[in-house]
Amino acid sequence: MTISRRELIKAGLAAGTAVSVPSVLRAQTASAGARMVRMVKQTDLRVFDPIWTATNITADHGLAIYDTLFSVDSKFMPQPQMIGEWGVSDDKKTYTFELRDGLAWHDGTPVTAADCVASIRRWGEVASGGQLMMERASDISKKDDKTFTIALKEPLGLLIDILADLTPPCLFIMREKDASRPATEQVTTNVGSGPFGFNEALAKPGASYAYDRNEKYVPRKEPSDGLAGGKIVKVDRIIWDVIADQQTAMAALQAGEVDYFELPPADLYSLIESDPDLGLQVLNKLGSDALVRLNFLQPPFNNVKARQAILHLIDQEAFMSIIAPNYGHPVTSIFGSDTLYSNDENTGWYKKGGDPERAKQLFQEAGYAGEKVVILQAMDWSPSKDGSQLLAAALRKIGVNTELAPSDWGGLTERRAKKDPVENGGWSMFITSESDYSLGNPFATPMLLANGDNAWYGWPKNEEYEALRAKWPNVATLEERKDLARKMQGIWWDFVGDVRLGKFVQPIAHRKTLTGLIGMPQLVPMWNMQKALA
Amino acid sequence: MAAYIFRRLVSTIAVMAMVGIFVFLLLRLAPGDPAAMIAGRSATAEMIAGIHEKLGLNDPMPVQFIRWVRDMLAGDFGTSIFAGRPVLELISQRLEPTLSLSMLTMILSVTVGVSLGVLAAWRSGGLIDRLLTAFATIGYSVPVFVIGYFLIYFFAIRTHWLPVQGYKPIEFGLGPWLLHLVLPTVTLSLAYIAFIARISRASMLEVLSEDYMRTAAAKGVSSYAMLFHHALKNAGVPIVTVIGLSFAGLIGGVVITETVFNIPGVGRLVVDAINNRDYPIIQGVLILVSGLYVLINLAVDLSYTLVDPRIRY
Repeated sequence: MTISRRELIKAGLAAGTAVSVPSVLRAQTASAGARMVRMVKQTDLRVFDPIWTATNITADHGLAIYDTLFSVDSKFMPQPQMIGEWGVSDDKKTYTFELRDGLAWHDGTPVTAADCVASIRRWGEVASGGQLMMERASDISKKDDKTFTIALKEPLGLLIDILADLTPPCLFIMREKDASRPATEQVTTNVGSGPFGFNEALAKPGASYAYDRNEKYVPRKEPSDGLAGGKIVKVDRIIWDVIADQQTAMAALQAGEVDYFELPPADLYSLIESDPDLGLQVLNKLGSDALVRLNFLQPPFNNVKARQAILHLIDQEAFMSIIAPNYGHPVTSIFGSDTLYSNDENTGWYKKGGDPERAKQLFQEAGYAGEKVVILQAMDWSPSKDGSQLLAAALRKIGVNTELAPSDWGGLTERRAKKDPVENGGWSMFITSESDYSLGNPFATPMLLANGDNAWYGWPKNEEYEALRAKWPNVATLEERKDLARKMQGIWWDFVGDVRLGKFVQPIAHRKTLTGLIGMPQLVPMWNMQKALA
Repeated sequence: MAAYIFRRLVSTIAVMAMVGIFVFLLLRLAPGDPAAMIAGRSATAEMIAGIHEKLGLNDPMPVQFIRWVRDMLAGDFGTSIFAGRPVLELISQRLEPTLSLSMLTMILSVTVGVSLGVLAAWRSGGLIDRLLTAFATIGYSVPVFVIGYFLIYFFAIRTHWLPVQGYKPIEFGLGPWLLHLVLPTVTLSLAYIAFIARISRASMLEVLSEDYMRTAAAKGVSSYAMLFHHALKNAGVPIVTVIGLSFAGLIGGVVITETVFNIPGVGRLVVDAINNRDYPIIQGVLILVSGLYVLINLAVDLSYTLVDPRIRY
C-alpha cells in the first residue's frame, strides 16, 4: 500500500483537528469556569456531620453549609454572626440572644430559636467548651421564635468565646429535627442555613462534592473579617475534588484542572514557586506545634528527670528542617507561638541545637538502666515518619535503648491507647501535632490536660497544674488569664507534660487566578474567594 | 458440561466462605481502629469509646462475624462506617470506572499484544522479534506509576492534549469518557501488552514448528491463513488462559493506575477503606472480587472448548 502526499496532508490535518478538540472545549468552558472553583482538600470528606466527628475536613463542610451564632474575627475576638442582639443579666448568669433577620434553611423555612437550642445541646455533648458550658448551665430554652436564653448556675466569662470557638467540633446550627439526634448518631441530611448549599445530586463519594452558592443567604452588613462579618459568596459553585495522590494533584494544579491544593508536600514547594501561574499562601498563620507525647505510666518516662532529659535533648531547628523546611521555627510556650497566651515563663531549657550532654546527665540522674524506649512511628504522616527517625537517632546517640514501632496512623491510634509496659505492647513516646489556635485555649485542647487517666494519651498528671487550669473559665479579664497562663506554663515545663519539636505552618498552593482566600486557623472558609479568567 | 458448571459453582461458595473467614479475621487482627480514624487526630479516649459502642465494635468477634454473614446472606453487605451508606451502593458507584478502564485495557492489550506476539513469532529472530523482546522487557519492568507520570507530563501538562486526572461517566458522552481514559488505559496496558505478546509469541513458536504447519506451507497456504487460521487457533489455549487471568487480576489490580489518574474506582475505594479501617467496605469488595475471580476462571475454562474442540467437560 502506498500513501500519497495529499493523503498524508489530509491525515495530518485530521490528526491536528482531533488533538485540538480538548483545548477548544476548554476554551469554550473558560467563562463558565471563572464562576466555578475546584479545590483539592487534604483528605476525602467521609463524614458529613460536623458534630459527630472533629475532623477538619468535616468542619470545613460544616462551615460551608451551616451558619454559626458567633464567629471569631481575624484577631480571634468573637463577633455576632447569626445573632442580631444579645445581652447578659447584671448577675452575669443569664444570656439572652436574638436571631437576626433573614435567616433561613436551604429548604426555605426560617431558622428559629428552637433550632439553636437543640443545636447547642447536641454540640454540648461532645465539644470540650460545650461540655463546660453544659455543666454550668441551669437552663437553655427558647423564649419566642427568634429569642433564646442560656441561664447559668454561676457566671462563665468565657461563654461567648466558647460559642464562637473554631476548634472542631464547632457550634454549627442545624435544624431542630436534625439536632435532636444524640451527638453519637450521624445527621443524615445536609440542610443548613449557611452561604453554600450542598449539591447532593453531584456528590460522588470518594471522587467529588459540589457546593452551590445559596442565593437566598443574607450576609451581615459588616465587611468580612476572619470568619466574622458578611459572608459574601463570589462564585456560583465550588467543587472539592478528591485526589489521593499528591503528584497527581500537583499535575492537575499545573494543568489548570484545579485551582487550589490544600496540602502540597514540602518537596513540591520549589516547583510551585518556579511556576509563574502558581503561588503558595499560608492561610493558617498560627500553624501547629509538632510535639512528643511521653508515657507517664511506664519507665523511663514515669520519672520526671527522664522527661526533662527529652526536653533538653531536642534540637528544634533540626526537627523543623525535616518536618517543614523554611516553614518552621522553634516554640517554647505551651500555648504555641503568637497566641494570646504565649509567654516565656520557665523556658530556660531551650537551647539552640539542643543539649545532649545535659540530657545524658538527666537520664543518669533518673537512674536509667537501659529500659527499652518504644517510639510509635506513623509511616503515612511525614512529621511522624521522619521526626521519629531523628528522635530515635538522637536518643541512641546518648545511649538510650530505642526501638521504632512503625505502622500507619490507624495502627498508631490503636496502640497509643494501651497503658501496658512496652514488653506487653505498650509504648514510650509518639509524635503528634496540635494547632496553635487550640493550644491557645487550655479548655478546648486535650493536649493541655494533666489529670492522669482522664488526660490525653501519655496520661500526664500534675495536681498543682490542674488546680490552676480549673480556674481558667472563671478568670474575668484577658490580663488575668495571661497571668494564669504564665503560672500554668511554669509548672508544665517542670513536670514536662509534653515536649515540643517546633511550630510549623503549611502553605496551600493555588493558581494565581484564585484570589480572596481568607486566612484563619483550623478552618478554610469558601466565601469571599473569586476567580479571574486565565 | 452442565454438571461441571454446577460443580464449579458449588465450589465457588466454598472458596468465598474461606475468603470471608480469612478477610474477617485478618481485618480484626490487624492493628488499627476505625473509631479513632473517625474521631480525628486529637480525639480523646472518651470520644473514641463512644464511637466504638455506637458501631458495635465492642461486641465479641464471633458475634460480629455471625451478624455479618447473616446480613450478607440476606443481600445486605453492611454499611460503610465512614460514609454511612450501604456498601453495595458504594461499590456500584465505583464499578463503572473500574470496568471501563479494565475493558479498554483488555481490548487494547489483547489486540496489540496478540498481534505483536504473532508477528514476532512469524519473524522469529529478526528485527521485529528483537524489538518486541526489548519492548516486553521494558513494558514489564517499568512501574506503572512511572509510565503514568511520564504520560501525564507530556500529554497533559506540556501539551494540554489530555486531562491529567478524573473520570467522566459514559452518560456525559463517548468523547469525554474516552478522553479521560486514554492515558490510564495506555499506562495500564503496556505491561499487559508485553505479557500477552510474550506468551503469544512462545505459544505460536511452538505451533509453527509443528509438522502440519510445514505441510501447510509446502501446500502453498498463504502466510495470513497459516498464522491466523491454523497456528493461532492451536496456540490459543495458553493465550486465552493468560487473557482470562489478566482480566481477573485487572479488576482488583488497577489501584495504582486509579490512584495516579484519580479514577474513583473500586481499587481506590478499597485502599481508602483499608486506610480508614472501614471493615464493611473491605469485606464487601473482597468477597465480590473473589467471586468475580472465580467466575472469570470458570469462563476461561469453558472457553477452552471453543478454542480447542478436543477439550470436553
